[in-house]
Amino acid sequence: MLSPVKYIRQSLSRKLSLWIVLFAAIIFNIALGIMFTRSLDEIHKEAVNRATQILDNTTLRVNSILERVETATDNTDWLVVRHLDAPDSMFVYSRRMLINNPELNGCSIAFEPYYFKDRGRYFSAYSYNDNGNILTTQEGNLHYEYFYMDWYLMPKLLDSSGWTEPFFDYNPDSIYSKDMIASYFKPIKDENGEYIGTFAVDISLEWLSRTISAVKPYPHSYSMMIGQGGTFFVHPDSTKLFYKTIFTDTFDNPDPDITELGHAMLRGEEGMRQLRMEGKDSYVFYKPLGVTGWSVAIVCPESDIFGGYKMLQRIVVFIVLIGLLLMLLVFSRIVSRELMPLTQLADQTGVIATGHFDQKIAIDGRDDEIGRLSQSFGNMQQSLMKYIDELKQTTASKASIESELKVASDIQLSMLPQLFPPFPERKDIDLYAKMIPAKEVGGDLFDFFLRDEKLFFCVGDVSGKGAPAAMLMAVTHSLFRATSARESDPSVIMRTINETVCLDNRANMFVTLFLGVLDLPTGRLRYCNAGHDYPFAILNQPSAIDCLPNLPVGIIPDMKYAKQEFMLAPGTTLFLYTDGLTEAMNATQEQFGIQRVEEILVSCGEKKMSPRQILESVLVGVHSFVQEADQSDDLTMLALHYTPGEFATILNEKITLNCDLSRIPELNDFMISIAERLVMDETVTSQVRLALEEAVVNVMNYAYPEGRKQFVTVKAMSDGHELRLVVIDAGIPFDPTSKEKADTTLSVEDRPIGGLGIYLIRELMDSINYERVDERNILTMIKNIK
Amino acid sequence: MEVIVTKDSQQTTASLVGSLDTLAAQQIAPQMNELKDFEGTLVLDCEKLSYISSSGLRLFLMLRKAAAERGGKIIVRNISNEIRSVFMMTGFLNLFDIQ
Repeated sequence: MLSPVKYIRQSLSRKLSLWIVLFAAIIFNIALGIMFTRSLDEIHKEAVNRATQILDNTTLRVNSILERVETATDNTDWLVVRHLDAPDSMFVYSRRMLINNPELNGCSIAFEPYYFKDRGRYFSAYSYNDNGNILTTQEGNLHYEYFYMDWYLMPKLLDSSGWTEPFFDYNPDSIYSKDMIASYFKPIKDENGEYIGTFAVDISLEWLSRTISAVKPYPHSYSMMIGQGGTFFVHPDSTKLFYKTIFTDTFDNPDPDITELGHAMLRGEEGMRQLRMEGKDSYVFYKPLGVTGWSVAIVCPESDIFGGYKMLQRIVVFIVLIGLLLMLLVFSRIVSRELMPLTQLADQTGVIATGHFDQKIAIDGRDDEIGRLSQSFGNMQQSLMKYIDELKQTTASKASIESELKVASDIQLSMLPQLFPPFPERKDIDLYAKMIPAKEVGGDLFDFFLRDEKLFFCVGDVSGKGAPAAMLMAVTHSLFRATSARESDPSVIMRTINETVCLDNRANMFVTLFLGVLDLPTGRLRYCNAGHDYPFAILNQPSAIDCLPNLPVGIIPDMKYAKQEFMLAPGTTLFLYTDGLTEAMNATQEQFGIQRVEEILVSCGEKKMSPRQILESVLVGVHSFVQEADQSDDLTMLALHYTPGEFATILNEKITLNCDLSRIPELNDFMISIAERLVMDETVTSQVRLALEEAVVNVMNYAYPEGRKQFVTVKAMSDGHELRLVVIDAGIPFDPTSKEKADTTLSVEDRPIGGLGIYLIRELMDSINYERVDERNILTMIKNIK
Repeated sequence: MEVIVTKDSQQTTASLVGSLDTLAAQQIAPQMNELKDFEGTLVLDCEKLSYISSSGLRLFLMLRKAAAERGGKIIVRNISNEIRSVFMMTGFLNLFDIQ
């Protein structure tokens, strides 16, 4: 179940219509508020006006009747005074009074006891109206001593005319009904101004009550009249009449409003008050009745005055509420219909977002913002599809590149030596090397191979990583192999590699390369360093090999690389590496550093570790340092242990010849004598003899081109197992081992006449080795003789 | 080192006697040169040849080239095992008719 807030928030149409309706509601509220307040005022004013007018009319009518009574009385008064001498005429006057004023109930012309001596104690001429019949009588008697009545006494005591309080005229003999009446009285005075009697006119209050009660401006309004003491004389509740005053109810339940109203009415004030009358909020309009001292009031319940208004208000509010609800509904519908394309768009883009890029986007022809939006979305989707297509293609081609890279990686690794130990038959060298590329293909290289009695080895690092570096690495590796096949001088090899690499180096890549050639019989290490990290030579303690600061390969085409050399002491281990080792980084970007490498090598030297053990312990050190961090660069290491065997000489002969072919027989004799001493069999002897002759003839023929005859020395050494023949000359540098192998498969026509000598040497001997030391060519030839 | 040349109508036979080292090769070179103009078949009898250096092989090859030019035939006869192995190494076995 959605919470209402969420329900509204999820829909723009709901939100929008809610805002509109809310705004409309505020406007309506203000407008209706003003209207209702204003009309309330108007209705109030109108009610006051109306009630006041009605009250005025009523009092006017009542007053006019009362005044007529007063006037009629005053008009008759003088007749009574003039005819005091004729008491019976009083009956006539009283009767005439009634005849002339039919609204009157009765008329008394009463005198003081014994005023007319002859008429005794009682004389009161009284006429009354009995349903149109006017009857006249003498009303005073023993049971009705009129001179004790209010209407009689009041003019006497007050010495003025006025109105009595309404009362029930009860005359025990009276034949007329017990009507409530009020009397207007006037004193009768003789010519001396002495009071002699009372002229009183009765008027039925039923009429007055009817007139006042008829005043009904509102359905539930009512009128009332109170006398001078606050007694109710006119009131719709007949139980209150005569017996209760306006104050009666306030004795038990004090109500200052009503008390004040009562006092105001008694004071003869005119006005309007708003108060609670008999449980209803009411407006009371009051006004005095002429000189009587009575006060008339109209009580109008508020519910009557404002009832219509309140009903109207309720209807209007109801209509407005319904209207707002309808508005909410209709707006919501309209907005949601107008926003329908947006909803669809939201759904469709939702589908697109899950990866279904071919989801159709409905574009309707609308010109508004929504139309433009869906148009834009359509365009965006088109572009997206196109882009995804391109991305797919790119990814596919990238994947194929990656698989090709994998192949390249395999090829690259297969280029490097993989079999360890590489020379199991040799006791003088033990070698172990490893390259760990950071990516599929690396820019590091190492290589080594044996040619004759020389170990060629190199370790290099191509600038950059990945495929470009790998390609340059392959080039460098091939160049190293190709060049070393016929060249033993590391500086020459380096120069050749450099020139070739520089040729088309558009990518401005370069290679740092350490290149070494170890002459195994002598332990002479020649090396050339092209900007590579200095290797270590470990003999008990590791020490960095001193290297010239040559530039890396690939920078300057005609760079003159210089070689260096030193004699490698037996038992020494060379340790070569690339900067992937020293710059191996851990998670905090700290480098492994040369310091740590050296520390490990120290312990390796102490433990007399083999090359394999050295590499493994260095790797353990690196791994425990780097931990989980990614390998940042290719890492290559090569360790080479050199232990030349002891050569226990049992024969050591030497012959020096000048360069004259006529000395060849001497050479042969020398050889044969050695063969005899070593008890060599015929075949071997013949082979060694041929090889030696070829080598020496070679020197004699070519070592000294200037014609200056020099010498050639041959040394023969043997330990009983192998024969070492060393041919030494001081001629021009010439490395017979670098000569190309003669092609023995050529046809007669294509075979060159020469070139067989060196070929034969190589074929006949087990191994040959060339060295140039101290301006001398030294060719060592070894043959196993047992 | 001696080269004994005998000729008949069919063939020329050159018997090589001794050790054909570099010096010897120099010595017999003129004789061998003469043989270039042989008629018919040239037989190089090596029965008494104990040793041959590359200079000697060179002479053999010279004759073989000459024969190839002129369409003559060269037969090498009675070579020792040592010399045969040298011939094998150098590919001369394929160039000559060895008997």
